[in-house]
Amino acid sequence: MEDMTQIWQWGFQVGDYTFTFNIETLIMTWIVMAALILFSIVATRKISVLPHGYQSLAELIVDGFDNLVKDALEIPNYRKYFPMICAMMMFLLLCNWIGVIPYLSEPTKDLNTPLALGLLGFVIAHYSGIKAKGIKEYIKGYCDPIIFFAPLNIIGELAKVVSISFRLFGNIMGGSIIVLVVSHLLYNLVLPPFLNFFFGIFVGTIQAFVFTMLTLVYISVQIK
Amino acid sequence: MEEFTWVQIAAMSSAGISIGFGAIGAAIGEGYTAGLANEAISYRPQEAKDIFKNALIGQAMAETAGIFALVVAMLLLFVNFDRGSVLTAPALLGAGLCMGFGALGSGVGSGYPAAATCMGIARQPRLSSRLTTSMLVGSAVCQTPSIFSMVVAFILLFFNVTGHPFSPYWAAYIGAGLSTGLAAIGSGYGGGLAAGAACEGIARQPENAGPTTVSMLLGQAVAQTPAIFGLLVSFILLFKGYPEAKTLSESIALLSAGLCMGFGGIGPGIGNGFTAKDAIAWVARNSENAGVISRTMLVGMAVAQSTAIYAMVVSLVLIFVI
Repeated sequence: MEDMTQIWQWGFQVGDYTFTFNIETLIMTWIVMAALILFSIVATRKISVLPHGYQSLAELIVDGFDNLVKDALEIPNYRKYFPMICAMMMFLLLCNWIGVIPYLSEPTKDLNTPLALGLLGFVIAHYSGIKAKGIKEYIKGYCDPIIFFAPLNIIGELAKVVSISFRLFGNIMGGSIIVLVVSHLLYNLVLPPFLNFFFGIFVGTIQAFVFTMLTLVYISVQIK
Repeated sequence: MEEFTWVQIAAMSSAGISIGFGAIGAAIGEGYTAGLANEAISYRPQEAKDIFKNALIGQAMAETAGIFALVVAMLLLFVNFDRGSVLTAPALLGAGLCMGFGALGSGVGSGYPAAATCMGIARQPRLSSRLTTSMLVGSAVCQTPSIFSMVVAFILLFFNVTGHPFSPYWAAYIGAGLSTGLAAIGSGYGGGLAAGAACEGIARQPENAGPTTVSMLLGQAVAQTPAIFGLLVSFILLFKGYPEAKTLSESIALLSAGLCMGFGGIGPGIGNGFTAKDAIAWVARNSENAGVISRTMLVGMAVAQSTAIYAMVVSLVLIFVI
């Protein structure tokens, strides 16, 4: 069980600081990326008005998320944010599901992945907010209701990033710890497939959806 | 006393705490479900079989948190934790505290969606399978804080905690257990309130099932944020390296950090649950305005979580600065 805390790493020095890469997370992320790109290529190879096969699945996904983003953002040019939201959801969904396959593990098990995506959503939300409202009104927004609340509002914004990243990380890593410990205790009999289904597919779907929806809602709150 | 005696003392008392507190929540939730199931059956006696079946499924979902606590208690009783270090004793104690308190909130909370589903089937018998799905999804997400507690409990039980000086690591392990365990109480209860409102809302207005389910998932996710803060403080306490403490004050600082985040998470979890409950109930009735209602709900919950953020800041100061 101790080998779970071992992280396969590779690092190089730049001056005083060491850049380390977590090899397993990188490889799994590349596998997810390859799968998504392959799906996109196959789905759009021979686009026809009457869809068949992968193209109909892709149209389902695109149409579903188009409606979701349109309802959440309620602005005329919501199509600007739609590709990022759709890509984030598909990436997270496949990331969380890939752990069910033996010898593969979820990239979201490493804190770096959810934290990076959370910071991405944070930067996009605040950049859109500044662009939509202008920098004066953006800064005034932090002084609601009194100017003394400004540091608390700033801490609140940072806490949003922490909560959204750690929710995804905690659920996925927690699920993998529980499956590992229970499989070890039960000598891999009976229970692990059901646990794998619950934690990998069910919880993975819900958490990917919640992460995407929260990012979308944070963007919509900033640009209102 | 020799080391192994301390470890055994800790294992026995921790097993008792784990299932003792863990049994509270699941029982309350299941009792509430059964009570409202009776009311539903008296409202529509022809559906008695269906309502009874859903009541049993809902009670089983509420039982899950208690079963987690029982599993941890059994492990504490029957697995030999002799690793040759007294540090195992506080780790076992932390695990029991964590799982015991963590199972409380989720158990009580899971009673609400099950009860609302029974009443909903009495209102709309044709919707039975849709409502059951909604109840299962809501209950499963409501169990997440107790899953976080079980993760921290398993880490405390099974990871290698030896090889460190006794002080201040004993306080770090007990603090880690308290932080997630206590903070999960409020979040479990709040998530359950939200799920209950969603099941009732879908029963009242089946056409708005889509927006209602989306609001339920959002509301539950944000209501679980205090438990996530507790998990964060627990992970920091578990995995940060400490120099050997010269005085008792450094150990007490870590223990206090765990208590601070733990208790600080109870209130915001419950408060967020109230916000989510009413917001989801009105999204179900008024789905054209689902966007503005959801946004208000999220902003309101974010403000209500301020005290959890203050608690987290004080915890982090206690760990890193003192």
